[in-house]
Amino acid sequence: MENLANSAAQQQAAVVKKARDKHFWKKGVFIAIFSGFLYGGYTSFMTEGMMHGVWNDIYAEVPTGVAAGVSAFFIVYTVSAIGAACVDIGSAIWSLFYGGCIGRLGDFKRTLGTKPGKILIIAAIIGGPLASTAYVIGLQMAGSIIVPIAALNAAIGAIIGKFVFKQKLTGGMILGIIICFAAAVLIGSSSMTDLNFSGGAALGCLAAFCAAIGWGIEGAVGGYACCMVDTEIAIIIRQCTSGLVNGVVLVTILSILGGDGVGSGFKVLTACLTDMPSMWMLFVAGVFSSWSFKFWYKGASMCGAALGMGCNGGYAFWGPFWCLIVCGLIFGHEGFMIPAVGWIGAIVMVAGIMILAISQNKATQQQD
Amino acid sequence: MRPLFQEVLHLYTDGKERSRAMVQDELRDVYGNFRAFRDHEMDEALHTAMSNGLIAESHYELDGEGKLVMYYQSDQDMIDLINNYIK
Repeated sequence: MENLANSAAQQQAAVVKKARDKHFWKKGVFIAIFSGFLYGGYTSFMTEGMMHGVWNDIYAEVPTGVAAGVSAFFIVYTVSAIGAACVDIGSAIWSLFYGGCIGRLGDFKRTLGTKPGKILIIAAIIGGPLASTAYVIGLQMAGSIIVPIAALNAAIGAIIGKFVFKQKLTGGMILGIIICFAAAVLIGSSSMTDLNFSGGAALGCLAAFCAAIGWGIEGAVGGYACCMVDTEIAIIIRQCTSGLVNGVVLVTILSILGGDGVGSGFKVLTACLTDMPSMWMLFVAGVFSSWSFKFWYKGASMCGAALGMGCNGGYAFWGPFWCLIVCGLIFGHEGFMIPAVGWIGAIVMVAGIMILAISQNKATQQQD
Repeated sequence: MRPLFQEVLHLYTDGKERSRAMVQDELRDVYGNFRAFRDHEMDEALHTAMSNGLIAESHYELDGEGKLVMYYQSDQDMIDLINNYIK
């Protein structure tokens, strides 16, 4: 009789455990998808912010005001780093504030000196300033043909997850990643109006591939590190690192490379940081960035790099979608309509994510 | 003093089996006032660590209130992995 009761209790426990595992998996997938959605918000507010206030002087046909007399190199490369720095510094301030509100600052300081903390710092430098700069260089040298090359980051993250962290990667999951990649190519292809195969194009494609590797490393490594570091702490480390490296190191290096002198870079950066008509939007972009990257890490740590980064890949659609809402509908700028191919790409991406998710779930069940 | 989640994982390097509540009992004196010490956060941290192969489920049961209690344990490979990252 007692054995029967024990067996019934075990069966009941197994049912509850199965429901719990399913809930955890679904939560991970939802968080990873939501990270891509929030990335769209980050993109749209950054795009809109860089069309207001002091940015009008910087991007004028002949730069005026604080940017008067700077080189063409400065406008292309240094200004990109300054824009990223404004968003990342705003994001770091928000992340520190939010981390303080939820009681994470003590562990943030303690984590900085640990090995997982240092890994997160290195991943943030690789995926933040380095990959972003490589992406801008690629865009400038080869045009928007590099967009699909950069979209390889999810596939690279999955490969790193498989070989470095021994995560699952089945045939079905690879198919899902390929479909997601194809969808990103389809969405990106709508902006391919300036295809350019001149001398620098190959170098530009190489730079874009470096960006994809950088983002792949950050997604896989950052996600894995979050099984040892609270994601609320990981995001403070990520945004502070990215803000500091972009705002101090990268702006300095690019200012020197462009021959504009270090002073020019910091003068423009300070002007941008204190320009309220644009900075409030860049701060909002920073808040979106903080949540987006936090969920990117969390999704990858809960579902593995392949599924986490595949679900996040929806950013290729959410970026133009948010720009349509924010820049097009709210602020009334033209040129933000999504062509039919973009919507088709979004549907293809949903199919890819579903195949990826179902395959990963099947692989997990077979393992159990 | 280690960060909370790293201290949780470090506990498992002795190879013993623990539930979330047992981990909390061992760490309450030092970390009891941390917000991340709450049941939900600790459960999620342990589940995430399990998904990434740092700890493994050893067994599970229902408590008196019908709530699921999971027990985790690390084998030698997992212990080596944890020790590689957490000093």
